[in-house]
Amino acid sequence: MATRTDNEIRELTPEQGQQLLDDKARQYLGISGEEFRTRWEAGEIDADDEPDVMRVAMLLPLAG
Amino acid sequence: MSRVLSCLTTAHVDVGGDYAPSATPHALIMAGNDAVALRGASRLTLAVSEHYTGWQVQRAAYFYAIGLHDSGELLAYHWHPHGKSPVLDPHLHVRANIQLGERWLGKVHLPTGAIKLEDIVSLAVNELAVEPLREDWELLLNENRT
Repeated sequence: MATRTDNEIRELTPEQGQQLLDDKARQYLGISGEEFRTRWEAGEIDADDEPDVMRVAMLLPLAG
Repeated sequence: MSRVLSCLTTAHVDVGGDYAPSATPHALIMAGNDAVALRGASRLTLAVSEHYTGWQVQRAAYFYAIGLHDSGELLAYHWHPHGKSPVLDPHLHVRANIQLGERWLGKVHLPTGAIKLEDIVSLAVNELAVEPLREDWELLLNENRT
């Protein structure tokens, strides 16, 4: 087993972050990233409502 | 974070958000927050993301999920101090299909202290039959903890 270097780090632009948020909101929750953000900020979605809500909510800062 | 993750996976880390002290945290997300396969007989997966704030780089939220390949999450360590959830302290969800009165165990917030990514890596290797990818993983974790 060889000693490895650290993993690649990618700095995302807000546009790339918005795209990632949209992709994952659609993949895991079946809604757009914008709809997720709106409902999250309105307090309509609880991080513990279902397993994948927290997974998507963690992406919000990437989208600016 | 990427250094600690390199003990278990080659997955990339996406970084973004605000570096300056502000209400918007700085986010580190492994592999788009998807579950990535870990090496070992247990066929586990791992998803990792963290938020940080301020110049002192204080952790502000985390999501660590250990899953079984093709079966979804088994354990989910959450800390989300903001939001609608009534539980804002660090907690664990055990995704077991067990009913406790009117609640399902998977929805129960099992209290924990603040969990570090280093704790998750130790758990995976020492108790969950995950094979580390680097021979210096214990040294690396100890260095990160000090």
